[in-house]
Amino acid sequence: MPDLQRELESHLAIEAEEQQESGVPTEEARYAARRALGNTTLIAEDVRAVWSTGWWEEVIRDLRHGARAFRKNLGFTTVAVLTLALAIGANTAIFSVIENVMLRPLPFTAPNQLVRIFSTKDGVPLNPNGGGLHGGPSVMDMRDFAQSNHTFQQMVVYDTWRKNVSFGAGQGEPQQMWVGLVPGAYFKILGVKPIMGRLFTKQESYIGKYYVSAISAQLWRNQFGGDPAILGKTIRINDEPYTIVAVMPDLIPGWMELKPVQIWTPFGFADALGDTWTEAGRGGRGWYTLGRIKPGVSLEQAQADLATITAGLAATHPVDRGIGVELEKLSETRARDLRPMLFLLMGAVSLILLIACVNLANLLLARNSARERELAMRTALGAGKGRLVRQLLAEMLLLSMIGGAVGLLLAQVGVKALTSIHPEGLPQLSSLNLDWRVLAFTAVLSLTTVLLFGLFPALTGARVNLVEALKLGSRTTTSSSAAQRMRRVLVVTEMAMSLMLLVGAGLLVQSIYHLQQQRLGIRKDHLLTGHFYLPGVRYPDSGAITRFCNHFGDNVRALPGVVEASVTTIYPPNYNWTQMLTIDGHPATRAQDVPTTRFGLTDAHYLRTMGIPLIHGRDFNESDSEATPPVALISQELERRYFRGEDPIGRRVHIGPPEFMHMPAGADITDSSDVTIIGVIGDFRNAGLTSPPEPQILVLYAQHPLVNYGFKDIVVRTTSNPQTLVPEISRQLRALDADMPFAQVRTMDEVVESETGSQRFTTALLALFAVAGLVLAAVGIYGVVSFLVAQRRQELAVRMALGATRTAALWLVLKQGLAMAASGAGIGLLGAWATQKFIRGILFGISPLDPFTFAGGAFLLLAIAAIATLIPGTGVMRLDPAQALRQD
Amino acid sequence: MPTMAAKNTSSKTDLLQGTLDMLILRTLLFGPAHGHQIAKHIQRTTDDVLQVEHGSLYPALHRMERKGWIAAKWEMSRERNREFKYYRLTPAGRRQLSQEESRWKQVAAAVARVMWSGREGEV
Repeated sequence: MPDLQRELESHLAIEAEEQQESGVPTEEARYAARRALGNTTLIAEDVRAVWSTGWWEEVIRDLRHGARAFRKNLGFTTVAVLTLALAIGANTAIFSVIENVMLRPLPFTAPNQLVRIFSTKDGVPLNPNGGGLHGGPSVMDMRDFAQSNHTFQQMVVYDTWRKNVSFGAGQGEPQQMWVGLVPGAYFKILGVKPIMGRLFTKQESYIGKYYVSAISAQLWRNQFGGDPAILGKTIRINDEPYTIVAVMPDLIPGWMELKPVQIWTPFGFADALGDTWTEAGRGGRGWYTLGRIKPGVSLEQAQADLATITAGLAATHPVDRGIGVELEKLSETRARDLRPMLFLLMGAVSLILLIACVNLANLLLARNSARERELAMRTALGAGKGRLVRQLLAEMLLLSMIGGAVGLLLAQVGVKALTSIHPEGLPQLSSLNLDWRVLAFTAVLSLTTVLLFGLFPALTGARVNLVEALKLGSRTTTSSSAAQRMRRVLVVTEMAMSLMLLVGAGLLVQSIYHLQQQRLGIRKDHLLTGHFYLPGVRYPDSGAITRFCNHFGDNVRALPGVVEASVTTIYPPNYNWTQMLTIDGHPATRAQDVPTTRFGLTDAHYLRTMGIPLIHGRDFNESDSEATPPVALISQELERRYFRGEDPIGRRVHIGPPEFMHMPAGADITDSSDVTIIGVIGDFRNAGLTSPPEPQILVLYAQHPLVNYGFKDIVVRTTSNPQTLVPEISRQLRALDADMPFAQVRTMDEVVESETGSQRFTTALLALFAVAGLVLAAVGIYGVVSFLVAQRRQELAVRMALGATRTAALWLVLKQGLAMAASGAGIGLLGAWATQKFIRGILFGISPLDPFTFAGGAFLLLAIAAIATLIPGTGVMRLDPAQALRQD
Repeated sequence: MPTMAAKNTSSKTDLLQGTLDMLILRTLLFGPAHGHQIAKHIQRTTDDVLQVEHGSLYPALHRMERKGWIAAKWEMSRERNREFKYYRLTPAGRRQLSQEESRWKQVAAAVARVMWSGREGEV
């Protein structure tokens, strides 16, 4: 302490000066001064003690001691830290997902006022399978909502469409991109202001003749190099020029529309469908919606408000009968499909955490009993009980810090991995990051874990029986029988929990397998699908579209390696275009009795390409054309449901709502035409993998000019790997139209996989956790058995000396391990049984109590436990009784 | 009255420590002073009855500085051409002084009652 040194020196100097002044010679005066001052080193020490007896200094001393203890026992430290890190890493990673998609406030102003409005039909939400977010009311209903409500500040209806986009010469190939069709109010509701430029005006949003667009900042940077003079430039969307009027900040996350949207144009459709805002659109539901309720208004009040209006609409408009309305907070729609999965995963990582805690407690108990002599010695030397507990707690603190840090690192890696492998359709996972909430969670988690589970061992450790511990021989460790019983209970517990994880993962894996193996009703191998769009500018009528599609189909069919190909609007397993039917001779009189069916437009090659069987009647053929009477194929489910044993072949069916519903002309996306049924085909999945096939009708787009839109898919059956044909098919498309991108190219296997994306994601994680749990449990039982073996060395040696065989001795040890594993397995099975209701909802095709899974899991657990027991058990086989006995 | 010059170790009883603290605080009431001045002042005012051992003085000063009762600053001495570490009273120190003082009064009165009340009875 140089400050004190200086202070004492100045003191000495003044003392000496004073002595001198009173006549003492210089030299003597200095000595006298020094004498008067006394022992400066002692003073310095006392002063230092004054300044340095802070509590933190003691904590640091304890920590340093702990670090030394950990270094001395590296094996223990490694296992403890890894156990802790694994559990904390898994929990932090999953929590960060939950935090990102459920807890974190939406990135918009006053996000609690933001809601989505959904339509229901007869109480069932519209469009429950189609991603769910676009199940909103029709534009006309929304307009009436907007005019008559008392609870909303603003509401909008909008949509997203895939369109061909090109950025002009030299700016790369045209590509298909998602374009948001939004009114300016969409951004206003979200509180997103343009970086430059202006929002779409009311006029632009209302009448479909304004070719203006807004682009995202990301697109602006990547495609236009952040050009400051971007406003006023044009991009081509579906071959029409759109003037850029705004650059929007990258604030709208991908989960909003379940797809990345980087270009927006006004909602008043500038092409194809004509005027959206007429009574004809009253029945056309399934849009995206967004609303901001007034401050202070509850969701329930807003819901009641809109319900009243809906009831009025149903009374006025026949198409609105049976239609209801349902509000959901925007924050709720973020997690949506992920919610049950996340809860499941949270449960899984909690189990992992518990297993890790149990392991940790066990490790510490074992360590403390090994340290009993050390602790006893310290007690004998005067360390108080509080001092010992503090020492042990400081060690726990150190452990939690190291474990937490490593865990965080693991979580970071895990989250990176999750982000990069996030399945299609889970855009919520595309931008995961760790923020302070996650860090706080990790800190609290690691601290409470270690302190809670370290405290008990610490306390039993501090309750050292001095005499006993010191009296016993140095090689024997004493451990109260209570602590030993505790350790066994802990091992049984972790066995049970890891079996629960194992069973859960087993069930999910089988569920995915069942889902993927669902009979689609088609041959799904060697099948390629791809999308293209014929812009209205260059393909103005049905004839042009049909000619192009026929031409393209012919060219693809002519390619080597192609067995068959079909241009279509539909492929399994999920297809939502639904139409009402009127069957000649069976007129419906009430709205709820009107037959409905999925409606698909294809060419004559569809059945052969997809491998859908023709049950009876005939297939489409080349002679069915624009010029001949429209024909249709129906599925067996349609026949079963609506023809009730009559032969449908040759029957005429009217597609569209029946007369009595008084639909305005052109209402819905209906072509209101009559078709003759020529054949019945096998059912195929059209309502998702988990639902049975809905009635299906197929017609030829060539014969239905009113609904022969430019959106088309091609399905191609190949002889070899379909992916190899993609460049050639794409070339064929370009040969016909150089500006047409071939988009969304996937094999049917990939299509089916994407349907199960979130399940596979969950299953993969759960399986990972199950393995982690199993490893931890194995480590746990290994540790306890090793300890038992060490403890019973002498007893076993005596037994051997008295004639017991080694096998018998080994069996004594094994028996203890297996007994723990078996009781753990029993409890685990009970636990798995108890959690059935949580897991039932996400299982498909397998019972949550599947006996094979239960038995298999238990068997696996016992096998692992046996191995983990056997490893330390072999120590018994090598035991030399003579030596073991001599040691004492 | 035991002297302050008692050995460092034995001067660490509460009463003595408190007393020394009080005396230092009281001394600083007159204005800032360095260690030597404080020691000299106490010695002089008590006619050398109380000798302040430096081994007690400096730890006490630092202890009080840490507690925030006094504040220290290196300053040039006007009389001697040399820098000294000057201590001055803080508001907290002022409060502490008045507390110590009243406590001391109580103790002194209590001691006085024990010492002299009995003698009165004897008379």
